Amino acid sequence: MIHQKGIPMKSVDESKLREIFGDNNVKTDPSDLYAFGSDSSVHHAMPWAVVRPDTTGQVQKLMAYANDALIPVIPRGGGSGMCGQTVPIHGGIILDMKRMNRILEINLPDVYCRVEPGVVDDDLNLALKPHGMFYPPTPASSRIATIGGEIANNASGVRSVKYGATRDAVLGMKVVMPNGDLVTLGAHTRVEASGYQLHKLMVGSEGTLGIVVEATLNFVPIPEYRCMGIANFDHLSHAGGAIGAIMASGAIPSMLELVDSVAIKAVNKTMNLGLKEVAASLIFEADGMVKEAVDYEINKMKEICTKHHGSDIKTSYDPKERAKIFMGRKKLFPALSKYDDSLSSTSLADDMAVPYSKMAEMAGKIHEVAKKNNIIMTAYGHCGSGCMHTKILMDTNREDQWASAKKAITEIYEYVRSVNGTTSAEHGIGLSKAESFKVEKADSLKLLQTIKQALDPNNILNPGKLMQAPEDWVTATGLRYAVHN
Amino acid sequence: METKEKTRFKHLEKWESTLSACIRCGYCFEHCPMFKYTGWESDAPRAKIITAFGLLSGELEPTKMAADKIFNCFYCKRCEAACSSGVTLTEVFTDAKKDLVEMGLKGPGTTSVTYMNCARCLVCVKACPHEARFHGEDGIETDPVKCQACGICVEVCPAGAAKIENNFGTGREDLITESSRFLSTHTSAKAIVFACNWSYFPDLQASRLPESETHDKDYEIYVNMCAGRLESQLLMAPFLNKAWGVLVAACPEDECQHKNGNTRAKKMIQGMQSTLERVNIDPARLQVVEIPAGDKTLFQAEIDTFIDRLNSMGPIR
Ligand code: SF4
Ligand code: SF4
Ligand code: SF4
Repeated sequence: MIHQKGIPMKSVDESKLREIFGDNNVKTDPSDLYAFGSDSSVHHAMPWAVVRPDTTGQVQKLMAYANDALIPVIPRGGGSGMCGQTVPIHGGIILDMKRMNRILEINLPDVYCRVEPGVVDDDLNLALKPHGMFYPPTPASSRIATIGGEIANNASGVRSVKYGATRDAVLGMKVVMPNGDLVTLGAHTRVEASGYQLHKLMVGSEGTLGIVVEATLNFVPIPEYRCMGIANFDHLSHAGGAIGAIMASGAIPSMLELVDSVAIKAVNKTMNLGLKEVAASLIFEADGMVKEAVDYEINKMKEICTKHHGSDIKTSYDPKERAKIFMGRKKLFPALSKYDDSLSSTSLADDMAVPYSKMAEMAGKIHEVAKKNNIIMTAYGHCGSGCMHTKILMDTNREDQWASAKKAITEIYEYVRSVNGTTSAEHGIGLSKAESFKVEKADSLKLLQTIKQALDPNNILNPGKLMQAPEDWVTATGLRYAVHN
Repeated sequence: METKEKTRFKHLEKWESTLSACIRCGYCFEHCPMFKYTGWESDAPRAKIITAFGLLSGELEPTKMAADKIFNCFYCKRCEAACSSGVTLTEVFTDAKKDLVEMGLKGPGTTSVTYMNCARCLVCVKACPHEARFHGEDGIETDPVKCQACGICVEVCPAGAAKIENNFGTGREDLITESSRFLSTHTSAKAIVFACNWSYFPDLQASRLPESETHDKDYEIYVNMCAGRLESQLLMAPFLNKAWGVLVAACPEDECQHKNGNTRAKKMIQGMQSTLERVNIDPARLQVVEIPAGDKTLFQAEIDTFIDRLNSMGPIR
């Protein structure tokens, strides 16, 4: 539904855009704009134009023009954001960065690479592979996610428990500021203590502070050995105990994933995988250059799982066996989509983080709240980094289901905050998570707004997101579903 | 929050829940030849699903531009193979096309058309694997709903009257130009690989590598919608540009999505191999290999073997 809440469409000077970008890199037809009004979230809103820069100079020119004409600019990478970060809630120009996709330098002696923001994560890894290296933050959407988008959202993924999130991998960057100025932030060195480290501020700023036009990233060697294991648990609390114990034991898993009973049932129902329907499974992995070291880590995790009543424990170095172990987790998305024809799998409240000791309790809480509100929710997550993912299965065509989902989400976030958790671990805030974000960060909202005001005084860079987003995400934009009364 | 004018799309209507089930993850971008060529997200499969939703819900006007989003598709189903949620995209597109045609919006997009110089020989009608070509009121016509843009009619038409106007880089001329450019700009260049779109790209999606990583590249892969569409002029072109060899990837016997594109290609290549032999060029420099859809490991292995063989043969003297 497009209801842009009476925001008048300001006139974009199309000829100006064509002059800057060339005819082939400007789109204004509704059929293009409509597609660019969506990302991987539930939101939709129409932009006024889409432009595709090839050079930093073009980005600078656009910002100078937009800043002057007070037109919102929304930078966009792969459009795989899950909370509406790139949905143009106040209209404006979508700055599609996918054409600035050059890998500029792979510097092996100094262990960094320089890339443009439109480089796809998987592509960067494909380029690093022949050198025996990889870029580790990699989210699940790495096949379309761009480095620019990952920086904007401080993306992370299954391996972040060992290798860290995007913020840990970014050494420096070049950024076009809202007035068109180009600044160089950070350095090309592993450590830096020269001042404010503003490049780290840009990471996770969701396109509201500046436009990254080049990034210098750290990479690491591909481990020689990888071993994966799985353990089943009859009680969520037992799995929870194992998670906490593993993380506190000094073992360094390269992956530690929880899959709950709802997820296992969904995979069995639609994919016929015949997984044992237990309360929870833990998938764990260790990697490294020395087999004995990997053995040591894996055995430690196995022992801890056994001690916490884990059963059916299996581990393997064999790639095929590893793929089998991971199959249930891998097939989760399609399984949820096919779970029931009348239900859609939506990304809402989908990536909160809580302390390790609360992971299992959190999963239980999710089930309880879902049941109470008549929706289906699964809990699965990168428990090694404290991140819990969920999907909500609901009839997206029914208005009352949206009300239920909203209620459930509010309750879940109340719990998250009550145990010192945080609203988003991986996907960012955008529009969908603003409600909880604003409560969680209540005492620093003014500070955030002051920073935004200082860097973007005309509020033209991705306005209406984070602390500026409307409280009620259901009505913040049109929803991308056909909702009937 | 109500929708308008939904009934105009009565074929598309049955896909309403599928359009909601698409989680909009965008995994289907990967290797969509439309997206690879234009680089516009609004041409990628996810955008086509969004367009279908917009049309069905009445949020998007059924204009020529919107219709083209749906008609521009090679039916290669790479998107379906990559989809995280089991969405059968091309079935959705086909039903959307039915509705659009009923509204007078007939593409052509990537579907084939017939030019005035058609000799009405009916060769294309016989060759079309999807029964999309027929003798109609205006001579030889294409059913834009049935046409899957394989390009076989373009290849068989003796008059050059069957055409796909919107090729998106897959036409003969595009491929000749691009492959010559690669051969003339890379001193290390040895081979051109023409891959049926059903094989796999063991390659970058969109990103560009620095010079230092690509200057010693010895082959380049070009995608064709169906091996049945390859013809001798195209396959000979690289040899004229000093290539050491040409490799063609086609689907295995009985697995061709366009009925017999692979056997057609094999026959043609056999013929060309004898021609090469007659002019004293080792016929092994032109090879066809069978790659099941999506088997990127096998595809890479076949390429490596071919390059090894070329290395032992050296350049054509
Ligand atoms: S069928 Fe092929 S061309 Fe059509 S949208 Fe899917 S991937 Fe793209
Ligand atoms: S991969 Fe499937 S679910 Fe994801 S956007 Fe494409 S069609 Fe939708
Ligand atoms: S031969 Fe292929 S391109 Fe030609 S009409 Fe038939 S399906 Fe379409």
